[in-house]
Amino acid sequence: MDETENSAPSAFGFEGTWQEFAPIAFTNLLLTVVTLGIYRFWATTRERQYLWSRSRFVDENLEWAGTGKELFFGFLIVAVAILLPLFLISQGAQALVLQGYEALGVTLTFATLAAAFYLIGVARFRALRYRLSRTRWRGIRGGSDDQGFKFGWSYVWKTAVGTLVLYLLTPWAMVSLWNEKWSKMSFGPHQFYADAESGDVLLRFLLFYLAPFVLFLALGIATLFGAGAGFGFGGEEGAAVGGGIGIVFGFIAFYLLIGLIAVAFYSKFYEVVIGATSWKDLDFSFEASTKDWVRLFVGDAALVILTLGVGYIFLSYRHWKFFMTHMEASGEIVLDELSQSQTDSSQTGEGLLDAFDVGAI
Amino acid sequence: MTDQSFAIAATWYDGEVALRREGQARWDPAGFLVLTEAAAAGSAATLPVRIPIGDLQFAEKLRDQLVYTREDVPDFRLRLPRDMPPGFAKNLPEAAEYGRWIDRIGLGPAAAAFTVVSIAAVALFMTAPEWLGPRVPESWERRMGDAMVGDFGNRLCSTPAGDAALAKMLDAVDPAETQVRAGVANIDMVNAVALPGGQVLLFDGLIQQAETPAELAGVLGHEVGHVRERHVMTAMLRQFGMSILLSGANTGLGDTLFGIASLGYSREAEREADAFARARMAESDISPLGAAEFFERMADEYDPLPEPKEGEESDGESGEVATSDSENAITGWIASHPAPRERAKAFRDAAKEGEYPAILTEAEFGALKTMCEEDEDVEEFDFF
Repeated sequence: MDETENSAPSAFGFEGTWQEFAPIAFTNLLLTVVTLGIYRFWATTRERQYLWSRSRFVDENLEWAGTGKELFFGFLIVAVAILLPLFLISQGAQALVLQGYEALGVTLTFATLAAAFYLIGVARFRALRYRLSRTRWRGIRGGSDDQGFKFGWSYVWKTAVGTLVLYLLTPWAMVSLWNEKWSKMSFGPHQFYADAESGDVLLRFLLFYLAPFVLFLALGIATLFGAGAGFGFGGEEGAAVGGGIGIVFGFIAFYLLIGLIAVAFYSKFYEVVIGATSWKDLDFSFEASTKDWVRLFVGDAALVILTLGVGYIFLSYRHWKFFMTHMEASGEIVLDELSQSQTDSSQTGEGLLDAFDVGAI
Repeated sequence: MTDQSFAIAATWYDGEVALRREGQARWDPAGFLVLTEAAAAGSAATLPVRIPIGDLQFAEKLRDQLVYTREDVPDFRLRLPRDMPPGFAKNLPEAAEYGRWIDRIGLGPAAAAFTVVSIAAVALFMTAPEWLGPRVPESWERRMGDAMVGDFGNRLCSTPAGDAALAKMLDAVDPAETQVRAGVANIDMVNAVALPGGQVLLFDGLIQQAETPAELAGVLGHEVGHVRERHVMTAMLRQFGMSILLSGANTGLGDTLFGIASLGYSREAEREADAFARARMAESDISPLGAAEFFERMADEYDPLPEPKEGEESDGESGEVATSDSENAITGWIASHPAPRERAKAFRDAAKEGEYPAILTEAEFGALKTMCEEDEDVEEFDFF
C-alpha cells in the first residue's frame, strides 16, 4: 500500500503563539536598530524560521531553510548590479536635461523607469520562487526552473493593459499574472496549476467605480447635517462651521469606504485565485470573508496605535497566522510519489538574485 | 568512549523522498552519527545512514526538538529531542540563535558592540566630509560639475553688456586666478545657488528685486564663499555618505541632483560664506550695507513683526508691501539661510565710516537687469 495522506478538513494549521514570537521580534528590532538596518536580513530569516516551523500542513510542519547571509549577498548583488546602474543612469539623464538635451534626457528617464518596472515584475516572480525553494515540507522543497525574465515582460504589458478603459482591465491583469506566475512554480515533482478567471472578481472591482458617487453623497449629507446642526447652535455662522465639520466627516467616511471596498475586493481576489490554484491532486482554497479581513486590519491598526508603533513588529506574525488559518486544501497526496524537486537551487551567483525578496504572494 | 552507548530517538527525512524515517541515532566509535530505521511491520527497513561528524550542521530549534541538516545533502533533515544526554550532544554542532558572530559573544555584548560601531560609522560619515571636502582637488570638482550640469543648455542669460557687468562684479568678490563661474539663470525666483563644479547662479528674480549693485555683490560673494570654502563639495560628500549609510535600512540609493543643489549648509558654513563675502568686499572696497539692506528687507518680508531687541532699531521703511509672489520666493531663500537679521547686523557692523565707490555704473546695473529680457535665444528653465 502506498502511504497516503487524506487531508483533514483543515490541511493547514498554525501553532505559534505571540508570546513565543515576542522574544524573536524584540531581539530582531534591537539588532536591526543597532546595526543601522543591516541585521534585517538575518531578522527576516529568524522570523520566517519561527513562522514556518509553527505552520502545519497535513501532518508535518514546514521548515524555512533560507539564510540571512544569502539574503544579504542577494541584496548586495542587486544593489551593485541593478540599483547602482539605475541610479547612475537617472543621474545621467538629469545631467542631459540640464545641459539642454531634453529629448534624450527624458527618453532615458522613461527608459530607466520602464526598466525598473520590468525588474519589479522579475523580482516578484523571483521572490516567490525563492520562498518556495527555501520552504521544506517532509524534506521536500519547491521552486521553478523559470528565471522570471519572461514574466517581467508579462508584468509590464499586462499591467499597462490593465489601466485601459478606466482601469477596468485591472482585475484581468492581476488574475492573469497570478495564473502565469503560479503555473511556473512547482513543489517536489509536481507543478502548481492556476486557472482563475477574472470575471469572478470583476463585480467586486466595480465597487470602486461607485466611490465617486458615494463621495458626493457622503459630502452632501454630511454638509447638510453639519450645517443644519450648526445653524441650530449659532445661526448662519454656526451653519458655516457645522458645514465645514460635516465636510471633514464626509471625507473621513469616504476614505473609510474606499478602504472597505479595497478590502472587499482583495478578499474576493484571494478567494478566487487561491481557489483556482492546485497542486497535483490537491485543490487549495482560502476562506477569509471580508469581515475577517476587516477584523485583521482593524486589529493591526489598534495594535500599532495602542502600542505607539511598537506593535508594528507583530504585524508579520498576524498576517502569516491569518494566511495559514484561512488556507484550506482538499484532495490527496501520495507520499510515495513525492520526491525531491529537481529545480535549480543554486546557492551562489545568479541564483542569489532570487534573494531580491520583495513581497511574494 | 562512552558516547556510543547512547542511542536516542530520531526522526529524519532523507531529502530525496517525502517519507518520514523514525528510528535511533547513536555515535559509532569512528565518529559517525548512525541513524538506524526501526523496521515497520511488513516493510523492509532502509540501510542505516552514516553521517560524518563534520557534515552535520545545525538548522533550527523547535519547541521540543533540534533540527540538523547535512552540508553534502542540504535537503536532509534530522530531528533530535532537545533533552538529549550531554554525552550525546557534545559532538553535535552548536545551536545557533541570532547568527554566528552574535552567538559567540552573546546578545548583550553584541548589541553594545554594534551600537559602538554604528555610532562610530555615523560619526565618521558625518565628519569625514568636513575634512575630505576641502582636500578634493578643485579640478576634480569642476570636472564633476561639468558632467552634472555643464552650461545648462543655454538657459543662462547672456548679453555682452550684462556679461561684462557680471564679470566686473565677480572680479570684486572672487579675486582668485581661477575664478568661479557665475551666471544669471532665467528663473523668476529670488534665489541664488552654488552648484558643484564651482558654478554660481544668480536667479533673474533676485536681480530684478535688487535695489543696488552692492546687494547683488553681497549675495554673489556669499555664494562664491560657499564654493571657495568647499561647502559644496563637503555637502555632496555628506549626501553621498548618508545615502550609503542609509542604504542598509532603505534600498533607495541617493538623492537627485536637485537634492544636492538644495542641500542646506550648516549655520557655521553660512557664516563662513558671509565672512568670506565681507572679507572680499572689504578688499575690493564694496559697501557691505547693500547686503545688509538686502537681508533686512528679506527679514521684514519673511517675519514682519520681529521682537524688538536692545540696540536694534526698527527700520520702518519697508515691509508693508509684499506681494504673495515675492513672499513665497523669498521664503524659499530664507528657509535655507538662517537668521537674516543677525546676518544683516554682521554686514552692517562691517561697514566703515565714509563713502564707498560704486561697484557698477547705472548703465552696467541696468544691463544686468535687462540681461534675460534682451537675450533673445535664452531658453526657459522648465525642464519638461
